[in-house]
Amino acid sequence: MMIRHLLPAACLAVAALVPTRPATAGEPALRLPEYHPTKLENGITLLLVERPALPLITVHWVMRTGGATGDPAGQEGLASLTAGLLRKGTATRSAAQISDDLDFVGATLDAGAGLDRASGSCEFVKTDLDAVVDLLAETLTHPAFPADELTKLVRQSVDGIKEEKAVPGQVIGRYFMGALFGSHPYGRPVGGTETSLARVTREDVVRFYQERYAPNQMILAVAGDFSAPVMEARLRAAFGGWTARVAPPALLPAADPARGRRALIVAKPDATQMFFRFGNLGLAFTNPDRVPIEVVNTLFGGRFTSMLNSELRIQSGLTYGASSGFTPLRLPGPFAISSYTPNETAGRAMDLALETLKRLHEHGLTAEQLKSAKAYLKGLYPTQFETNDQIAATIAELELYGLDRTWIDTWFARIDAVTVADARRVIDRYYPLENLSFVFIGQAAVVEPVAKRLGLEARSKPIEDPGF
Amino acid sequence: MRPSPALRHWLPVCLAALTATVHAQQFDVQTRQLDNGMKILLLEDHSIPSVALYFLHRVGSRNEHTGITGLSHFFEHMMFNGARKYGPKMFDRAMEDNGGRNNAYTSEDLTVYQDWFPPSALPLIFDLEADRTRDLSFDPKMVESERGVVANERRLSVENNDHNLLGEQLMAAAFNAHPYHWPVVGWMVDIEHWQRQDLVDYYKTYYAPNNCEMVIVGDFDTTAVMRLARKYLEPIRAQPAPRPVTTTEPEQMGERRVQLVKFAQLPSLQVAYHSPAATNDDYVPLEVASYILLKGESSRLYRRLVDEEQVAVSVDGGQSPHLDPFVFLFDIQPRDGVPVGRVEGLLEAELGKLQTGPVTARELQKAKNTAVADFYRTMKTIDGKANALGTYDVLFGDYHRLFEAPGRIRAVTLEDVQRVARKYFTPKNRTVAVLVPEKPAGKPDAKTAP
Repeated sequence: MMIRHLLPAACLAVAALVPTRPATAGEPALRLPEYHPTKLENGITLLLVERPALPLITVHWVMRTGGATGDPAGQEGLASLTAGLLRKGTATRSAAQISDDLDFVGATLDAGAGLDRASGSCEFVKTDLDAVVDLLAETLTHPAFPADELTKLVRQSVDGIKEEKAVPGQVIGRYFMGALFGSHPYGRPVGGTETSLARVTREDVVRFYQERYAPNQMILAVAGDFSAPVMEARLRAAFGGWTARVAPPALLPAADPARGRRALIVAKPDATQMFFRFGNLGLAFTNPDRVPIEVVNTLFGGRFTSMLNSELRIQSGLTYGASSGFTPLRLPGPFAISSYTPNETAGRAMDLALETLKRLHEHGLTAEQLKSAKAYLKGLYPTQFETNDQIAATIAELELYGLDRTWIDTWFARIDAVTVADARRVIDRYYPLENLSFVFIGQAAVVEPVAKRLGLEARSKPIEDPGF
Repeated sequence: MRPSPALRHWLPVCLAALTATVHAQQFDVQTRQLDNGMKILLLEDHSIPSVALYFLHRVGSRNEHTGITGLSHFFEHMMFNGARKYGPKMFDRAMEDNGGRNNAYTSEDLTVYQDWFPPSALPLIFDLEADRTRDLSFDPKMVESERGVVANERRLSVENNDHNLLGEQLMAAAFNAHPYHWPVVGWMVDIEHWQRQDLVDYYKTYYAPNNCEMVIVGDFDTTAVMRLARKYLEPIRAQPAPRPVTTTEPEQMGERRVQLVKFAQLPSLQVAYHSPAATNDDYVPLEVASYILLKGESSRLYRRLVDEEQVAVSVDGGQSPHLDPFVFLFDIQPRDGVPVGRVEGLLEAELGKLQTGPVTARELQKAKNTAVADFYRTMKTIDGKANALGTYDVLFGDYHRLFEAPGRIRAVTLEDVQRVARKYFTPKNRTVAVLVPEKPAGKPDAKTAP
């Protein structure tokens, strides 16, 4: 199956909202569904949303302390392995039994690490509530971390990275984070590297779990077909006996932004396209400028008719897609412009991407453009916040970053309030022209002249070298 | 099999009787047909203030021939490049200005256009869709620019994606006569040589309303939408039915093997068995076989290849609904250093077990439970509902099959599964494709060669 376009991968991850039907004609008001944050006695934050449309339930958990910024240098991937091993054996069930019990009822259970947290989701048909919640609680509160399961997961993950490196679009983000953040914890590849994963022992995993998984750092967001008091009692029964306590996540210093222009060239001898990504630090999750930036970025690189996609794809046919995006994290995350182009047009596409960025600065954006972006964003939102999974993940993320529902409930009003002057201000502040970190993946003979012509100070590595 | 002709009057469906566990009465699907032959499925769903609108044209790479491979997909791109009223770029701009967005996809059998938008944009969307369905222009400049976009899409999704590059070789070997032989995106040399006239011919033949089905799900009023459909879409004239695809693939008379030798860090293995069309009675028992073999970490192949023997990083595959007999695929990423032949041997051993050994009642029950859960997952979004209704109606011949799916799975017996495993998973019916890694110098790596 061939798809017309891929949505920009790195567009602003906004929080979820549920539009309610307007009382009178006009635009829908937007409000999160009703939920009342409560705490279990052991410190777990509960967020319960009753949504009876389908007989499905999603439980989304977040461990504030379980993220990859807790990986020791040289053991990148430890947080990921810990989260991945939760379902690979508990005090009373083997990995095979857990899989069998889940698959038997058609339930899904995923867990993984991000930079700022570990998290996971479990989705099931409501009739299986008791069995699945007990199983989920077991994996979180009594994981056994069998040594042979760790060995297996490490080997699979190492080969998985080699497989991913065959597809530049799957790995360019990791090279970019490494190049931009350097030795800052945000520069560490969350999934580890071919060499770092092999250095993780069972003792490391057990210690990571003991120091970083506890009810006082956990958020449980549940959405679906249930009654809140019944669900709360069920969760108390399953998780209430867990009494561990750990310290809150360490406060990290913000990373230094890239100064000047520098490049990493990743040599891939069989590439018939050059992949590129460049940018600098973006913004933190709680930054109030996220709203004007979302409007501006929609126009610059966030939607199909954006300036970048118009120039590089629609007008010139140089690529199948060009985009820009911000990834908001606890600390400022990355901002990046991304595309790819045939080897023959590498220089032209690169020039055009930079010229388009320059044009954003020179011409700014008009009131008419802002109006279009606002209508687009407001039209888009309802479908982004349609499912239990979306709602649960969103309210958990708000809780993680210390925000409350007003962040969402005022979103439309804040979008409406964005002015041409706001757009100018965020362009000047968040779209750097001169200070840029570049990553290229492609044939060295194609990429090197491009980097040289841009006057970039470049270092190179073969794609088959371990790491990013 | 084509969708049965629908009546002009309301056709409310009592779905509750079809299966006991799927509460389908909440999905009140309406069927209509315009005078020009366009079939319409409507499902009002007021859970969010948004609408999903699908147009499914019965044309895909299956309708192409040598020299114009990939044209269906290229045509899909051209549908966004200007018509009489809304010129180049105006389709996307008008839609985005009004809070809408769109996408489209092309498969072997279908070309599908998708719009998602707030209810307030309904009249505009119908105007846009009617304009390009009735009066598409083929500006030569746009044709050339879009040719570049599609060539880049091929470079991205095939030439710089070993997995898909291997899959293309696999299908080309598995199919000799049938058009499933070539990739949906088309061969690069054909992408370079399509003519403008090819597009014009295609438009008249395959974009006629009688070759299209519309599905709409979301926050709208059925009467109001039918008024818009009659105003904007009904005046588009019907055309003679396209020439049917008559080629069938001759029975495969022995195993076929292909190799792809190129720079890569790991080898890769894909195995295909010819399998039946979506409407064939064997399709559902094979679906149960696919649950048993491939679904979840408790599936037989995951357990044997990934978990116990640890010869693979991942194992994936299954069948997918098609108008003509397609393939049941096994897609395996071997572990570094494991001979591909060993992985292949273990796959064969597991298929042998399914043919002769017992399927447990628990495995069968698991497949049934999963089918129910998957049905509800399909129905989580208005977009999921629109896509499922449309593809079931066109590919399975009747959208009711969507609601019947859990019940049909429930009716499958242990003997059914063994029977279809014996019928389709035979050595003579098998095509094997192997990616053999080559070092940059050009020397195949001995340890990973099969």
